[in-house]
Amino acid sequence: MKDLARLAIDTAQARGASYADARAIELTREDIQVKNGEVGGLDLGASAGIGVRVLVQGAWGFSATDDLTKDGIERCAASAVSIGRASASLEHDAVRLAPEPGHRAVWASQCAKDPFQVSLETKLDLLFRIDSEMRAVQGVKNAESFLSFQRKHQYFLSTEGADIEQTLTRSGGGFSATAVSPDDVQRRSFPQAEGFHQALGYEFIEATPYVQNARRIAEESVALLTAEQCPAGERDIILEGSQLALQIHESVGHPTELDRVLGMEANYAGTSFLTLEKQGKLQFGSRLVNLVADATLPHALATFGFDDDGVQAQRWPIVRDGLFVGYLTSRELAHRVGEDRSKGCVRSDGWFHIPMIRMVNLSLMPGSGSLEDLLADTGDGLLMETNRSWSIDQLRYNFQFKTELAWEIRKGKRVRMLKNPTYQGITTGFWNSCDFICGPEEWKPWGVTNCGKGQPGQVAEITHGAAPARFRKVTVGVGYED
Amino acid sequence: MQKQEAKAILDRAISLARGAEIEVMLGGGTDALTRFANNEITQNVEERRYLLSVRILQGKRTGRATGNDLSEKGIARLIERAAEATRHQPEIPDLLPLPGPQRYRQVDALDPETESLGADARAREVGKAVARCREAGLEGAGIYEVRAGTIGDYGEIGPLAIANSRGLFAYHMGTSAEFLVSALDGMASGWAGYESHSVRGVDGSALSKRAVEKAARSRGPKAWDPGRYTVVLEPAAVADLLQDMSWISFGALLVQEGRSFLSGKIGQKVMGENITLSDDPFHPLHRGSPFDAEGMPTVPTTILSRGVAKSAVYDRQTAAKEGRESTGHGLPVPNTYGPIARHLVLEGGTGGVEDLIRRVDRGLLVTRVWYTNVVDPKTVTLTGMTRDGLFAIEKGKVTHGVRNFRFNQSVVEMLNQVEAMSAQEAAGGVVCPGLLVHGFQMSSATEF
Repeated sequence: MKDLARLAIDTAQARGASYADARAIELTREDIQVKNGEVGGLDLGASAGIGVRVLVQGAWGFSATDDLTKDGIERCAASAVSIGRASASLEHDAVRLAPEPGHRAVWASQCAKDPFQVSLETKLDLLFRIDSEMRAVQGVKNAESFLSFQRKHQYFLSTEGADIEQTLTRSGGGFSATAVSPDDVQRRSFPQAEGFHQALGYEFIEATPYVQNARRIAEESVALLTAEQCPAGERDIILEGSQLALQIHESVGHPTELDRVLGMEANYAGTSFLTLEKQGKLQFGSRLVNLVADATLPHALATFGFDDDGVQAQRWPIVRDGLFVGYLTSRELAHRVGEDRSKGCVRSDGWFHIPMIRMVNLSLMPGSGSLEDLLADTGDGLLMETNRSWSIDQLRYNFQFKTELAWEIRKGKRVRMLKNPTYQGITTGFWNSCDFICGPEEWKPWGVTNCGKGQPGQVAEITHGAAPARFRKVTVGVGYED
Repeated sequence: MQKQEAKAILDRAISLARGAEIEVMLGGGTDALTRFANNEITQNVEERRYLLSVRILQGKRTGRATGNDLSEKGIARLIERAAEATRHQPEIPDLLPLPGPQRYRQVDALDPETESLGADARAREVGKAVARCREAGLEGAGIYEVRAGTIGDYGEIGPLAIANSRGLFAYHMGTSAEFLVSALDGMASGWAGYESHSVRGVDGSALSKRAVEKAARSRGPKAWDPGRYTVVLEPAAVADLLQDMSWISFGALLVQEGRSFLSGKIGQKVMGENITLSDDPFHPLHRGSPFDAEGMPTVPTTILSRGVAKSAVYDRQTAAKEGRESTGHGLPVPNTYGPIARHLVLEGGTGGVEDLIRRVDRGLLVTRVWYTNVVDPKTVTLTGMTRDGLFAIEKGKVTHGVRNFRFNQSVVEMLNQVEAMSAQEAAGGVVCPGLLVHGFQMSSATEF
C-alpha cells in the first residue's frame, strides 16, 4: 500500500500538482448486534483504497479509487490533478499551507487485546447475557445490544516528505431497553446513547460493566412509562457527563471549527457565531468553564500521532476561564487567525473522502466536588441523564436537547423520576450560567461516534471528557407544554 | 458498472460458494462533487468504489462479510469470512430462506450525459452561480453533485445488483444530479436547490438568482414572538419533516412493535382528508430502485389515503408475521431496523408556493428547515430550526425577513391542519408540494 501511495504522489507531481498527498488505507470492521434474543446483524467488513489530494494552481483536487493496480492509481492521481485544474478555473485566492515538517513516523493506538483475535462466540456470549438480563424485566419491548470494532491502518505520504504509518484500533459497545405503551415509547441506554467507544482493544469491553447494569437499565425504561412528565418552566439543571459531552460537541466543538467560521460549510452544516473578532474577547462561559482540545488524550477516539494534513497531534485551550480563545484549524486556514502552524484538526472518515477540519477530542476540565456534593448544593433542580435527541441552529446559538430521564432533586436528594425531559437555550447564556463543575473523581471520557459534516457527508468519532455540571435557570419541558 | 460485469462478479461468488446457500450484493459507483464557498471552489472530489456483501445461510444461521476486493481471491476470502460468521452464531428461529427469482419493473434512471459529466462542466455551472452572487455583493456557497450508482449521502452503499443461489438476480443503475446554492449576506441568507436523475435541468444561474433574492429579502430581519402561526412551508421544508416522519413511523416493524403513531390505527382516519401519501420509487421525479436489499420487487404502497391510515411498508420478515407479501422495502438481512419507506410521494395541488402565500392574511413563509430531530415518536413531534429565508406574510404578500425560530411541532397534527397545497416537486429526496398549514408551533427565537 505504501508503494501505491508513493506512486500516486509521484504521478500527481509529474502531472503538475504543486503539492500532493496520498492516504492508502486498509479498514477492518466487525459489527455485531443482538435484538430480543436473536442476532440482529453480524458483518465482518474490510475495505482498502487510496485517496489522492492535490493542489494545482493554488486550488484543491481530490480523487479516490479502490482500483489498486498501477494503472488504477495513475488514473486516480491524474484525475485529482484534472479536478484541481477545474477548481482553479474559477477566480480564487491560492491556498497557502502553513509549514509543517515532513514527518517520518510510525504511530499506533494502544491495544492490549486484539479485538479481531477474540472469538465471535465470546462476543456473542456477552451480548446474549446482556440481552437476557434486559428481557428478564417484564414490560421491555426491545432489548438491543451491540459490539463494534474497527482498525484503520494508514500510510500518509506527501510531496513535502511526510511518510507516516498509523494504526488506530477502537472498540466499543452498548445496549438499550425500549418499553412501549399505547401512547408512549421510552428508552434507556448504557453506557450512553448509541454506545461508548475507546481507542483500546478488547480489554476495554472486558472492563465495562455491561451485564451488571442491564437489569437496572431495563427496569428504568419500564418505569419511565408511568413516570410523571417533566414539567415546563425554568429550572436549575445538572447534566451528567454523557449528555454534557454532546452539549460540548454541538455548542462548543462545531462553532470553533475554523472552516465553519470562515463560511466553508455555509450551504450545509452552517457557519458559526464565533466570528474572528470574538477570539480573546468573548466571555463564552462563566469563569469556571475551561475547555481544552486535545488530540493526545490517551485512548480517545480523536487521538492520533498525526492528522490527515500530516500535522503532529497537539493540545490547546479553546475556552480559558470562560473566555473564548482558540479555534480548530488546518494547514490551509491557520493563517486566517494569524497562526503560523496548524493545530492539526484535519481528518477524513475513509480513503474515499477528502480530509477536512474535524473536531479533535474536546473536554470540559473538572472543577471540584462529587456529584453528591453538587446535589446537596443544588437544593431543588433536575439531574438529566443520557441523550435522546438534539438540535441546534446553523450558527450554533439556539439548541434543544432531550434526555432519556431526569431525576427531580429536592433538598439535595433524588426524589422522583421524570420522563421526556427537554431543555433549550442560547449557547453563551447557557455556558455563562454554569456555576458548578464536579471534580476529577467524577470526570470521564465520553464519546460521539456519529458526527456528520461535509458534502459528501463524512462521519467522525470524537471523545469529550466531562464531569457533571450545573446550569442555572434553564428553560425545560419544551415540546411538552400543552 | 454495466449489468453484465455486475452479473459476472455475482455469478463468480455464487460459484465459489460451491453449493452453499448464498446471497451476494454489489453496490457502489461514482460520486463527483464540486463544493463552493465564499464565491470560489473549495473542495472538488471524485470517488469510485464498489462493495461486495456476501451472506451465507446454514439452516437458521446467517452471517455477512463485506469487502471491496473483487478479485477471485478477494471474493473467496469474503465467502470464507461470511461462513465463519455464520458458523459461530445461534439459530434465528424466524430466519427465512432465500427468495427465488423475481420479476422487476424497469426504471429509466440512467442518464448517460449525467454519468459522464466532468469537473470542467461542473466548474462552469458553479461559475454561473457564483457570478450571480458576486454581482449582488453576496457570498455564494453550495454544491454541484453528480452520482452514478448507489453511493449515498454519507458514503453508505446501497444495492446495485443482488443475486442468490436460488436463481434471483436483480440489477438497477441510475444517475442523480443535485445543485444547491446558498447566498449569504452576513447572517442573512437565502437558499435554492434542484435535484433530478439528470443534469439537463440544472441551471446554476437561475438557482443562484433565487437564493440571492431570498438573501436580499432576509436582510434586517424583525424579531417576532414565538407562538403558533399560519405558515407556508416550501417543498424543501415539507420534505425534511416527512423524511423524519418516515424513519420513525412507516416501517412495519415500528408499527408491529407499537413504536409508530400508526400502531393500532391502520384503517382509521389519522390525518386531514387532503392528505394522501405513498411510497413509490417509480414516480417520474424519484426513479428509484425497483427492488430492495433482499432482492424483492418494490411495490408502490399507499400509506395514507385521504387521511386514512392504509398500510405500512414491509420486508419479508414483517410481512411473514402478518401472512402477507413483502412490499420490497427491506434492508440487508438480518437487521434490527425493519423496512423503510424511502421514496415518499405526498399528493399535491396545483399552482405554486406564491399561490399559497396569497391566501395568508398574517403568517410566515419557511424556505427550509434544519437539524430536525425527534422529540416524541408517538406524536411525531419534531424540533428543528427555520433556515435560509424566514419571511413575514402580511395580507397575501411577503413583506420582510423574520428572525429564525426553533419549532416543536407534531407532524401528525400539522397534516391535520393543511389548508392548501402547491404542485409537487422533487426536494430533499421526497416528492411533495408546499403546504399552507395553520397553528404551526414556533417555540423559541434565535439571534439571527
